[in-house]
Amino acid sequence: MSSILVYLSTSDDKIRRSSLEVLSRCREIADRDGADVAVVLASGSASGLVGEAASYGADRVYAVVNPEFDGHLNAPLAALLSQIVSVESPRLVAMAGTEGAKDVVGSLSVKAGLPVLPDVSSFDVAGNEVVAVRPVMAAKKLARVRSAAPSVIVTVRSGSYAAVAKEGRGERVDYSFDYAESVGTAVLRDVASAKVGAVDLSEASVVVSAGRGVKDADGKALLEKLASTLGAAIGATRAVVENGLYPATAQIGQTGKVVSPELYIAVGISGAIQHVAGMANSRVIVAINKDEDAPIFQYATYGIVGDLYRILPALTEAIEQS
Amino acid sequence: MVLNAYDASAVEEALVLRDQFGGHINLLLVGPQSAAETIRKALAMGADSATHLVYEASSDLDSGAISEILAAELSGAEYDVVLCGKQAQDTDAGLTGGMLAERLGLPYTTNAVGLEIDGGQIVVTRQGDSGRETILLPTPCLVTCSNDMNDPRIPSLKGIMASKKKPISSRPVESAPDNATTMVGFVEPPQRPAVTMIDGTDEAEAVERLVRELKNTSKVLQ
Ligand SMILES: Cc1cc2nc3c(=O)[nH]c(=O)nc-3n(C[C@H](O)[C@H](O)[C@H](O)COP(=O)(O)OP(=O)(O)OC[C@H]3O[C@@H](n4cnc5c(N)ncnc54)[C@H](O)[C@@H]3O)c2cc1C
Repeated sequence: MSSILVYLSTSDDKIRRSSLEVLSRCREIADRDGADVAVVLASGSASGLVGEAASYGADRVYAVVNPEFDGHLNAPLAALLSQIVSVESPRLVAMAGTEGAKDVVGSLSVKAGLPVLPDVSSFDVAGNEVVAVRPVMAAKKLARVRSAAPSVIVTVRSGSYAAVAKEGRGERVDYSFDYAESVGTAVLRDVASAKVGAVDLSEASVVVSAGRGVKDADGKALLEKLASTLGAAIGATRAVVENGLYPATAQIGQTGKVVSPELYIAVGISGAIQHVAGMANSRVIVAINKDEDAPIFQYATYGIVGDLYRILPALTEAIEQS
Repeated sequence: MVLNAYDASAVEEALVLRDQFGGHINLLLVGPQSAAETIRKALAMGADSATHLVYEASSDLDSGAISEILAAELSGAEYDVVLCGKQAQDTDAGLTGGMLAERLGLPYTTNAVGLEIDGGQIVVTRQGDSGRETILLPTPCLVTCSNDMNDPRIPSLKGIMASKKKPISSRPVESAPDNATTMVGFVEPPQRPAVTMIDGTDEAEAVERLVRELKNTSKVLQ
C-alpha cells in the first residue's frame, strides 16, 4: 500500500478533534501496512497547523493557505481533494463525517471515481478490500460494509477512535490551488454561527442535554448552571430545537450531531431512537426524567426519576460541594 | 411503503415553491413495483406527475448506482431545481444527492433547512457544523432537504382523490449499474450495562448518591 489520505477539517483556526481521531486511526493502519499518511489542510490558518498534523501522524501535509476555505462551499473543496487524490493515488481517503464533509463527498466521489463508505464507526484495510461498520436504522443496527475498489473514501463518525499523538514525518507540500477556477457558480452569502455555551459539542468530554422537559428560560438557566459547573457542552433534542429554545447546532441525533463524551446527562429527554442514535456511545449516561417508564432509562448507566426543576439545582449544588 | 421523512420535506418544499411561483412538480423514484404506493402519497400531497423507474432489488443498489440511474433519466431533461431528501431514513447514507448533482454538472448544497427564490437565484439556508450557512445557487441546481426544513402536509381527501388521476410514467430499469460497495450483513450493537436507578428520601439525597457513583464507580467526576 502506498498512502492514506486524510482531509483535516478546521474550526476557529484549530484542527477538529474528530479529524485528529481519523488521522490517528489512519496512522495505525499505515504503520501496520507500511504506508505513508498524507493530509490536506485547507484554510486561512493552514500554515500554523502543519506541526499539529505532524504530531498526530502526518507524513506529508498538503497545506493550502486560503481563508476562502473557512467559509464553506463544496465545489472548491471537492476540486482540491480530487486533485490531490490524483497526485497521491491513495489506498484510502478518510475524513471526519462533519456536515462540511457530508456536503462534499458526493461530488468528490464522482469526480475522483472513488466509492464511499459513509458515516462509519470503524474501518480498516483488509487485503484487497476496505471494510467498515456503519450504524443504520437510526443506529439500531450495525451494518458491515466493504468495497473492493482500488481506492475508497470513508467518512467517520466522531468519537469512533481516540486521538493519539504520534509523530509523523511532517513534510510540508506547498500545493498551489486555483480557487477562482474551481469555485463554480454557488456563492456563500453568510454564515450565522450559533454557539450554545462555552464548550464545543463535538469536542466536549461532558455533555448536558435538554429535552422537552426543559420548558422555559428558567429550565434553560438551571441546565446552563449545571453545564458551566461541569465545564460541559450543551446539547438538545429536536423537540427543543423545533420550539426555538435551542439552536439547531445543538441538536444531537440522527439528523443532528453524533457525540460520545465520557459523561452524557440527558435532562427531560424521552429517549426516542432518533435521539439515541447520536449519543448511545457515550461512556456514562445519566438520565433525569419524571416518567419512570421513559425509554431513555434503557440506555442510561444511572437514572433518577423526578422533576428536573428540582433535581438540577440540587445536582449543581452537590457537584459544587464535592 | 412509507415516504421517507426527508423526501417528504423535499416534496413539501417543492409544493410551496410551485404555489408561489408556478411550475410543474415531477416526482422521480427508483424502486420496486410496490413503491407506487409511496408515489401516490406524494401525488396526494399535491405533486403533478411522476416517473417510476421500476427495479425490484433497488435496496441492493448503492448510492453510486442509484445516482447513475437517476442521472441517466435526468440528463437532457428540463428543470430548474432538483430537490432530494438529504439521506434515506433507513441507511442514513446521504450520498445520492451530491453524486447526482456532480453527474449532471449541477451546483448543489446539502442539508437545507430553508429555501427561497430571490431574483432568479435559489437562496438556500443549510445547517452547517457551527451555524447556518446561506448559499446562493443559480438554476438549474440541486438541493438536499433536511426534515427540519418544514412540516410536510398530510394529504387531504380531495388530494387523495385527485392523485388517482395523475399520470405516473412507469418503466423498468433494464440493466442496473454495478455496485462499488456491498453490505455484507449486520452485527448487533454492543449492549449497554443495565441501568442503576438512584433514589433517596428527597432530591438532595438522590443527587448526593449520584455524585458519589460518578466519582467512585464511574470515575467521570474528580
Ligand atoms: C426522521 C427523523 C429524524 C429525527 N432526528 C432527530 C434528531 O436528530 N435528534 C432528536 O433529538 N430527535 C430527532 N427526531 C425526533 C424524535 O423522534 C423525538 O421526537 C425527539 O427526540 C423527542 O424529543 P424529547 O425527548 O425532547 O421530547 P419528548 O419525547 O416529548 O420527551 C420529553 C420528556 O421529558 C420528560 N419530562 C417532562 N417534564 C419533565 C420534568 N419537569 N422533569 C423531568 N422530566 C420531564 C417527559 O417524561 C418526557 O419523557 C427525529 C424524528 C424523525 C422522524
